[in-house]
Amino acid sequence: MKLPLKWLKEYVDFNVTPEKFVELMMWRGFEVADIEDEMPGITNVVVGRIEALSKHPNADKLQICSINVGKEENICIVTGATNVYEGALVPVALDGAHLAGDIVIHPTNMRGVESLGMLCSGKELGLTEADYPGAEVYGIMLLQGEHPLGQSIQEAVGLDDLVFDIELTPNRADCQSIIGICREAAAALGQKFREPEIKEIKGAGNSADYASVEVLDTDLCPRYIARAVTDINIAPSPAWLQKRLRSVGLRPINNIVDITNYVMVEYGHPMHAFDLSCITDGHIIVRRGKEGEKVITLDGKEREVSPDVLLIADPIKGVGIAGVMGGENSEITENTKTVLFEAAAFKGSNIRHTTRELRHVTDAAVRFIKGVEPVNAMDAINRAIELVDELGAGKVIGESIDVCAVDTKERVINVDWKHVNAILNTAIAPEEMVKMLDTINIPAKVSGEKLVVTVPHYRVDIESSIESDWDIAEEIGRIYGYYNIEPTLMKGDTFRGRLSPETAFEDEVKDMCVTMGCYEMYNYNFTGPAVINALRIPVDDEKRLAVKLLNPFGEDQSLMRTTLMAGMLDTLARNCNRKTGCGRFFEVGNVHFDNNADLPEERKMLGIIVSGSAESFFTLKGCVEFILRRLGIEDRAEFVTGGGEYFQPGQKATVLVNGEVIGEMGTIHPDVRKAFSVPQAAYAAELNMKKLFDRRVEKKTYKALPKYPLVPRDIAVVVDENVTSAEVVKVIQQSPVKVILENVELFDVYRGPGIPEGKKSMAYSYTVRAEDRTLTDEDISGAMNAIVRSLKARLNADLRA
Amino acid sequence: MNETLQKIRQETLERLKAAKDESEIESLSVSVFGKSGSLTEILKSMGKLSKEERASVGQSVNAVKKELEKELNERKAEIAARMQELRFEREAIDVTEPGKIAQPEGHLHPMTQTYRAIRDALVGMGFTTYEGPEVEYDDYNFTKLNLPLDHPARDMQDTFYVNDRVVLRTHTSPLEARALLNLKPPFRLIMPGRVFRVDEVDASHSPVFMQMEGFVVDKNLTLADLKGTLLTFIHTVFGEDVKMRFRPSYFPFTEPSAEVDISCTLCGGKGCRLCKGTGWLEILGCGVTNPHELENCGLDPHEWKAIAFGVGVDRIASLKYGITDIRLEYENDARFLKQF
Repeated sequence: MKLPLKWLKEYVDFNVTPEKFVELMMWRGFEVADIEDEMPGITNVVVGRIEALSKHPNADKLQICSINVGKEENICIVTGATNVYEGALVPVALDGAHLAGDIVIHPTNMRGVESLGMLCSGKELGLTEADYPGAEVYGIMLLQGEHPLGQSIQEAVGLDDLVFDIELTPNRADCQSIIGICREAAAALGQKFREPEIKEIKGAGNSADYASVEVLDTDLCPRYIARAVTDINIAPSPAWLQKRLRSVGLRPINNIVDITNYVMVEYGHPMHAFDLSCITDGHIIVRRGKEGEKVITLDGKEREVSPDVLLIADPIKGVGIAGVMGGENSEITENTKTVLFEAAAFKGSNIRHTTRELRHVTDAAVRFIKGVEPVNAMDAINRAIELVDELGAGKVIGESIDVCAVDTKERVINVDWKHVNAILNTAIAPEEMVKMLDTINIPAKVSGEKLVVTVPHYRVDIESSIESDWDIAEEIGRIYGYYNIEPTLMKGDTFRGRLSPETAFEDEVKDMCVTMGCYEMYNYNFTGPAVINALRIPVDDEKRLAVKLLNPFGEDQSLMRTTLMAGMLDTLARNCNRKTGCGRFFEVGNVHFDNNADLPEERKMLGIIVSGSAESFFTLKGCVEFILRRLGIEDRAEFVTGGGEYFQPGQKATVLVNGEVIGEMGTIHPDVRKAFSVPQAAYAAELNMKKLFDRRVEKKTYKALPKYPLVPRDIAVVVDENVTSAEVVKVIQQSPVKVILENVELFDVYRGPGIPEGKKSMAYSYTVRAEDRTLTDEDISGAMNAIVRSLKARLNADLRA
Repeated sequence: MNETLQKIRQETLERLKAAKDESEIESLSVSVFGKSGSLTEILKSMGKLSKEERASVGQSVNAVKKELEKELNERKAEIAARMQELRFEREAIDVTEPGKIAQPEGHLHPMTQTYRAIRDALVGMGFTTYEGPEVEYDDYNFTKLNLPLDHPARDMQDTFYVNDRVVLRTHTSPLEARALLNLKPPFRLIMPGRVFRVDEVDASHSPVFMQMEGFVVDKNLTLADLKGTLLTFIHTVFGEDVKMRFRPSYFPFTEPSAEVDISCTLCGGKGCRLCKGTGWLEILGCGVTNPHELENCGLDPHEWKAIAFGVGVDRIASLKYGITDIRLEYENDARFLKQF
């Protein structure tokens, strides 16, 4: 919302600095985003008259101007422009002047002639045709009318005001108007608001003799007021009105259109003016669009509407899209003789829908969407008529046509003032509250425990509901000043603060990853079909059941991820390409599956990716095992060949705990690496956090340390190539030994000379001990023999010679 | 015999003096005290002597033996010390060479670190964490929170839709509805999570970001309690010197509502680029929960009150670490992550 200072001063005595005003408004809940100069960044540019023109002695295309800028001596300026003439009034940038685009003007020598400044074009002053007629001509901007020489350019073009750009919160639709925001500004300044009075213009006859109005959908249009004006004299608006419109960024067009725009800004009520001669039978019908119906709007575009769009129509055609834009067929033109003004209230949600359907938003629509209330419509129409009269724009016809389906009488609410104090933790006397409310023009009186508050029609945010106490508490709070509210600590029960077990677990897992040297990633949750294909995810895989967005940024971000894999690969690729030197990353994040339930299934996953010359499938497996070990479930975990298609066949495993899959890991498939531009071998794992959480062993019990020494032994066996290490370990562990056998670990695998083709040698270390004694040599060799026998019997393994 | 003894003594002492390493001393020791060592030979030959002679010669031999043993040990220690010194010289290193890390170091993302700092401050104030789904019912994300379908404030938040009833949550506030519907008051909750808005990526916008909501339900909570809670929270997270500005605002889910600024963390309030010259940084929105929300979730707003506040974790992280481009937080460049 733009509020020009001069306009504000019309209603309020302004006795503070602009900066102080910004602060006062902030404490009222109105954030001033900016104090704008109407000509931002322009300084030291004045009006000058070209007294004499002569040709430049050394350059054909330059002229030397002798310019009077109101000083004793004329100054000399060289220009290349051709549209200047003797006697012309022009903007002169003097020494040190700032122009648009941060340009600073200094005297220069132009081909041997000293030039003491510069004549400016509109562009150099940051002006457009809308700001000043002639601003966009090629050459110097010529000033129109009479101006004192030396006058600042700001004053000369009428752009010398400050404009406050105020951010409105959506609840204060009433402040989308100069009147509304000035009412609040007055209260903030502690000044009286000079409420403008609209002079009622009676006019001859009755508008109903010229037009009629029929509203078919009163739910979408609770009020429609129309007023006829004849003998229209289309002309430019007077300077003061044009200037006002420009100061809030609107372009003056002609008196009738300008009046509607002016009332929209002043009273916050969007209006429209129809050329009544174009309305068949002068009969306005407010109705829903018909399927396939088309209306050409003022901007010359043909727009197809649906029954969800409210139209203003006559008996045979649409003449405007309600609340958004008028129709071209009933536009005000130079030849317009009779006008029908419209001031209506349209339902904001419907207008919002319309702007979405038509993909077109206008100033008027924005206001309707935020909320325009029906009572204001009568003020708007009366104000427009007053301006018609004042401007001599036409002959006002009496009696507006008013189709009103809502109750316009004032609302009264009863507020529990003790409750207001309770919400704010204040002790404000009810009489004081009455005085406070009066400063924002809300009449109230005390009646025992209650404040009886008459809600002004424009304060639609103050509800007649359970919310009333809170609504008034908010008003009292901001008038009293939030800075006056003493901070207190919450009373009542004490609470034991803690992390939920799931949160604590997530912390723990993240810390483990950091311990393993991983950097934490945050990747976006969005993905696309191409990425899913690039990951080689099979057609029937659940990872194809991605949740689809209705309104994504694009195809490539149209799905919610079903795996962390793509984000991990992107991060890795980025780091490889930038040569950041890190090859270990992890992420904890959610993936989603559309399983036809109300809400998709959400799974929190842990992803780890490693890459680099020192990394392998087994360094990654080491990370996974470390996590499983820290969670106390390593001894129940198994790695079984298998896993997603994004892994390389033969180098992938699913991770099972107690026989149930909790995740997978593997070497990234070369085709996938290529698709994600990962230049080197990479290894990734993805584990289900919930499953890890459910299976983790939190309780740790001390086991007595062995009293008697343990004896380490090694054994190397030759087995068939297809025998896995896990199988060998299992057989060793299950051997019928009479001692305690522990710490079975693979330490070498050998293929080559001395080992037959199709076989491999696997070397394991293990320890043996007894609970109650030191082992004898017989114990130790007995255990070894039992192990060898088991391996031979179950895996056909031979002791390596 | 005495002459021989003196000769042995003299020679041994000279050889000892000339010895250069431990092995020379060792062989010298053997040649004197060994099985057929010179001194041993003398002792062996003593049997031929008379009883008187034997006593006096024995005494002399023992004296020499003692002396030589002592000299030998001393010389041995001296040489060992010298050898060690030489070894140390050989093994001296350049202590200015860079250190090495046996196990590479990992890093938590700055957002996680910030989130934990904020969260832990609130845990200290009796709050407990509570989480919920990222893909959420429109009803919980909006309607239950006093944002019915045609509410103009819905435009404040551009929403990703899955279907007409399901959205990507635009804030962590739907957890308020879930908590009100599922937990028995009173409670104090911290509700963290990723949220989603239809915002094109640029230096200050991201379609995905992390939010954290504080939500307290109890009897007799007031706007002043909210202000006090936030003041404590801000002092814990940003330090006691930071000033707070608690000013009126509007949110559909709260009434009265407030926005909270802190004095600029970079310039301390004098005005700089970070705070755009205002001296203040906006860090959160908050308020007394709207009675409609409590009612929609089955609580009597005259019996129960609630206060709520929502913090953008990304934003706090940016302010805390002076990160000027939010995109960095989702690029996962190791050189960026390493700094935290």
